[in-house]
Amino acid sequence: MSLIEIENVSFTYHGNKKALDDVSLSIEKGEWVSILGHNGSGKSTLSKLIVGLLKPQQGVIRVGGITLSADTVRDIRKKVGIVFQNPDNQFVGVTVRDDIAFGLENLQIEREEMIERIEHYAKKVDMYSYLNKEPHNLSGGQKQRVAIAGILAMKTDVIIFDEATAMLDPEGRERVMEYMRALNREGTTIITITHDMKEAVLSDRIVVLKDGRVLKSDKSENILKDKATLEKSNLELLLPLEIMHYLNENGIENPSLKEFLWQLSLNG
Amino acid sequence: MAIKFERVGYEYKDIDGKGYLALADVTLNINKTGEFITLIGETGSGKSTLAQHMNALLTPTEGRVHIFGMKISRETRKSKNLKLNPIRQKVGLVFQFPEYQLFEETVENDIAFGPKNFGVSEAEAKERAKKMLNIVGLDDSYLSRSPFNLSGGEKKRVSIAGILAMEPDILVLDEPTSGLDPLGRNALLEVFYDIHQKLDKTVVIITHDMNTVYEYAKRVLVMREGNLVYDGNPTQLFSRKNVKSWNLDVPDILKLRRALEEKFSITLEGETRSKAQLMAKIKEALR
Repeated sequence: MSLIEIENVSFTYHGNKKALDDVSLSIEKGEWVSILGHNGSGKSTLSKLIVGLLKPQQGVIRVGGITLSADTVRDIRKKVGIVFQNPDNQFVGVTVRDDIAFGLENLQIEREEMIERIEHYAKKVDMYSYLNKEPHNLSGGQKQRVAIAGILAMKTDVIIFDEATAMLDPEGRERVMEYMRALNREGTTIITITHDMKEAVLSDRIVVLKDGRVLKSDKSENILKDKATLEKSNLELLLPLEIMHYLNENGIENPSLKEFLWQLSLNG
Repeated sequence: MAIKFERVGYEYKDIDGKGYLALADVTLNINKTGEFITLIGETGSGKSTLAQHMNALLTPTEGRVHIFGMKISRETRKSKNLKLNPIRQKVGLVFQFPEYQLFEETVENDIAFGPKNFGVSEAEAKERAKKMLNIVGLDDSYLSRSPFNLSGGEKKRVSIAGILAMEPDILVLDEPTSGLDPLGRNALLEVFYDIHQKLDKTVVIITHDMNTVYEYAKRVLVMREGNLVYDGNPTQLFSRKNVKSWNLDVPDILKLRRALEEKFSITLEGETRSKAQLMAKIKEALR
């Protein structure tokens, strides 16, 4: 049994064409999967379905063997946390501390344990000195770190990063990717939804969505160099691979150069 | 000089009355035409605050901003004679998520709303709606569609057309491509470049994408902790040793070029600010 099982799931927003069309996908415990696709390909719809923010109109979603439904959604959210693209849309607390506490209150954690976790994870994302500040005065990157601390504090089995680095500066993005690596090493299952190949290259597997369907699902290193699949989904090859493609097209044989370009790509 | 910052400071007040300096002593000039500027810096460095001073959305708490001859300062904002409408028309500011501000029933009405608000006739406003829609790369069939059923990239284009329809001299865009897929991002950057080239407008883009900076910008402004720490061209910026300490990254093209030069002990000649240039240089070096 896989940790997350998505079977023949379809979803349509009112009055539009299908956002997801008969999607089946399994994600293993401890796996790191990137979901790529063009704007409107259904990536974010899929992530909202997995955490029960949307309800599939067809098909079944199971997390840790529990079938997602109105009755089980609270249990599922104890297992799956999500960080969204725009941190402004995920603040509920008056202070940073309240905000990190929010998810924990829902989990009915003891007060002392809660305080301990809030402080521990605030330190982990370098926001400890901001605990008593108002979230709306923080910068985008700082807000995103608070949102991440709130999810980390819940110690869920799975964390979905839904374009969570899209609005961050290079340093902020690098940090979030560092958290992803560390979490995955410690056994957390990671799902990243992204357009950024440098983020996708870190994952074990890439699933490419197009117009609500799974176009391809394969080991990351295979998808990385699959120019045709990426182009169909409005994505780009990593720059070193684009250069490699150009060399091939121009009949330039230079194995040591190509090997170097490939290694650069794998390092993001 | 269309926009002139003179020792501008801006302080936000926290709930407990504690001040936070978002801009400190910024002096800067922006020309009416011919500029393609990227404004960069880590999150919280003051980029958006700086941009919001460019059309008097914010008033400096220190110093002054001159916008098309109008002085914006604490003193002048108290005066009844200060008219902000002409400033807002001349400097069009596109917010980070402009698509949240679409509200009309059709794309045409949405784009025409701004100019009508500034006293342009209905017929003229509709004429402009059509023209600007084409400039942002959407065809006439979009005019009658509901803005709410468009994709993210299309919504962004419509909201940018709405600002363009006011015929501003200067266009200021706050992270206009964030959240777009690479194809959508590249297409939109080409639109901005066209607006700059064909309509001869100054464009200011806030971005975190160093590749955009390197491939498009003629001039870069770098903010750090409220200070303007760099005002110059991108090539010189990225050859500075302290660029990493500003939380900036080196553009992919430059990173790859340097890696190749080091690994294979070669020197590529001249500038490579686009992928095509880099590919051509590599091909040349391999001969």
